[in-house]
Amino acid sequence: MSPLGPILLSLRVAVVATTVTLVVGLGLARLLGSRAVPLKFLWEALILLPMVFPPTITGYLLLILFGRRGPLGKLLASMGMQVVFTWAAAVIASVVVSLPLMYQNCKAALLGVDGRLEDAARTLGLSEGRIFRRVTLPLSLPGILAGVALAFARALGEFGATLMIAGNIPGRTQTVPLALYSAVEGGRTAEANLYLAVTTVLAFAVVAVVGLGEARSRRPRRGRDRGDAAFGGRS
Amino acid sequence: MIRARFTKALPLFELDVDLEVDGSTAILWGESGSGKTTILECVAGLARPDEGEIRLDDRLVFSSSEGIDLPPQERRVGYVFQDYALFPHLSAEGNVALALQRRDRGRAREYLERFGIAHLARRRPGLLSGGERQRLAMARALAVEPRLLLLDEPFSALDHATREEMYTEFLRLRERIGMTVILVTHNRAEAEALGHRILELREGKLAEERP
Repeated sequence: MSPLGPILLSLRVAVVATTVTLVVGLGLARLLGSRAVPLKFLWEALILLPMVFPPTITGYLLLILFGRRGPLGKLLASMGMQVVFTWAAAVIASVVVSLPLMYQNCKAALLGVDGRLEDAARTLGLSEGRIFRRVTLPLSLPGILAGVALAFARALGEFGATLMIAGNIPGRTQTVPLALYSAVEGGRTAEANLYLAVTTVLAFAVVAVVGLGEARSRRPRRGRDRGDAAFGGRS
Repeated sequence: MIRARFTKALPLFELDVDLEVDGSTAILWGESGSGKTTILECVAGLARPDEGEIRLDDRLVFSSSEGIDLPPQERRVGYVFQDYALFPHLSAEGNVALALQRRDRGRAREYLERFGIAHLARRRPGLLSGGERQRLAMARALAVEPRLLLLDEPFSALDHATREEMYTEFLRLRERIGMTVILVTHNRAEAEALGHRILELREGKLAEERP
């Protein structure tokens, strides 16, 4: 079994999971952050639960939900789909465990935008949707990007929940953390070291993205609009 | 024209506002914490009075008895915020264009030209001086073609020399646009220099004095 398989699978799972997590996490952060939602504390607790749960427990819960006799599993089976022990299950596991990180970063980023800027946009006649797209979102982008990087890293490192719901099937659901475990267990040191190297590079990339995002958000916003370079150094 | 009669409970006292301004500049003068900004926010639709009525021109924008409370988007009130609340991620032109239908860049330039800052169209607010920022905030507020212009301490962020210059500019603008303006300040000299009328806000109530 080539070590490239787990690496590509891990990347695919992490990219898909992070995309889903971004949409869901940002959506929930906007929904729960901006209005009075009934039972808000309960929803937030549910979102954050996987952060305090041992990942294997989260995975076991997902297995109960998505298993053949679980409520979601039955629903999917009626549509001819089965997710347990497929790479889709690995995506589900990654989404659930990385959602708390994404949600908290997005929420903090959205709340960090000066409310007076949104009020100013209201007096200018912008709809709430346009205010979100044109004012709130661009200004909270550094924080959201940090959330994306952390969620991606968490998805990439997912082990416990993935093992429970997706299994450790070489070529199908064996992501890098699982492959590393199997490699060490089987005494295949060279393969294990390769996974270590790849993970280190990816981890550095993630830390760099978070660092850049934070540096950007701290810097006073003095840059000019895009396309100004064409106008030379006029100031 | 604005006619407003409303009450709103604040943590320390109750605002009891009775206000009518027509085509002139009225100064809301009072100490900080006297509720001046809250009055502007109620007029613009950013805060909600407890009871009463607010009428802009012929349009009832708030009425507690009739259950009317138009959102700020539908009130067409120009609002210059304290410290201006300019969008830091957009150029001067982008700040004004956001207020225009279909983000018409050409018309945004016209507004900047009117305030003498067209040459700064591509700069972001962070690179503008205090006076330039104030002009931009004015241009942006007027770009919505408002029924009424609200100014919240528009000169407090400026140094002394710039402030004198901006007073003159404001007086010229006031005559040119002939719009109903409510300007909030805690500065007595400013109130006397800039207003047709001065309304003093004290203990939640407005009292008129002729300058």
